[in-house]
Amino acid sequence: MSIKVLIADDSGVMRKIIVRAAKSSGVDEIVEAVDGADALAKFDQEPFDLVLTDWNMPNKSGLDVIKEIRGKGSDVPIIMVTTEGEKGNVLQAIEAGVSDYLTKPFEAADLSAKIDKFVPV
Amino acid sequence: MNADYINPFIESAVSVFEMMLGCQVKRTGAKVCESFAPQFDITGIIGLSGRATGDVVISFERELALLATEALIGEKPTDLSADVIDTIGELTNMIAGNAKASMEELELKLALPTVIVGKNHTIRFPSKVRPIALAFESDMGYFNIEVGLMESACVEVG
Repeated sequence: MSIKVLIADDSGVMRKIIVRAAKSSGVDEIVEAVDGADALAKFDQEPFDLVLTDWNMPNKSGLDVIKEIRGKGSDVPIIMVTTEGEKGNVLQAIEAGVSDYLTKPFEAADLSAKIDKFVPV
Repeated sequence: MNADYINPFIESAVSVFEMMLGCQVKRTGAKVCESFAPQFDITGIIGLSGRATGDVVISFERELALLATEALIGEKPTDLSADVIDTIGELTNMIAGNAKASMEELELKLALPTVIVGKNHTIRFPSKVRPIALAFESDMGYFNIEVGLMESACVEVG
């Protein structure tokens, strides 16, 4: 079964870290987006099994990405990977419909564990 | 500047280096200064706003920047490439973001980081801000963090 993941982060290095973790979790198709608007445009082009998004990005934020994806009626799992660790921000993301939340900095194993939760073995 | 705002940045730098780079960090000095002249080769700057406003400026030794990039992506760059610039932006973002989470009462928001390459640059804080400079050494090299935060006189309501 082919798993397709969308990764949205304005940092190329952070995208590389997430791509590496996703591949080690068995993800075979990865699409990268450089900001929130790019993520939403790519989300509209094809179906995804999992979305990982940063919060602070140019154009549209990760919070906008979650709200707009949920606004389309999609229940695709979305993991927020962000420096925004305050309780208020986590609550905002939960209210918007995030499926899981990982605060930077993180251990590589923490990121893999979050991805593994949503990738069928 | 309120010295209570400094500890979160020290703790955050230690945590970010340990978790993301697997690297031990030790603070070697601290001083109040008028303006900032980065000692090192590549500098990340990020703005904070909320009940306090200001900037965090983090300057990294070249070799540290290269080794940090290698630790994050698994291959060592030979020059200050786009990957190195991204690494410095991301480390700056994480250090400031993680520190801000420890100061929830200030309701701080992060701007997007900017990275400057080259030794001969000076960054000036607003005249009312007396930044505090922190020097660090790590297993990968030297860096310093300058924090200039000023509590806002009033906060918009509604």
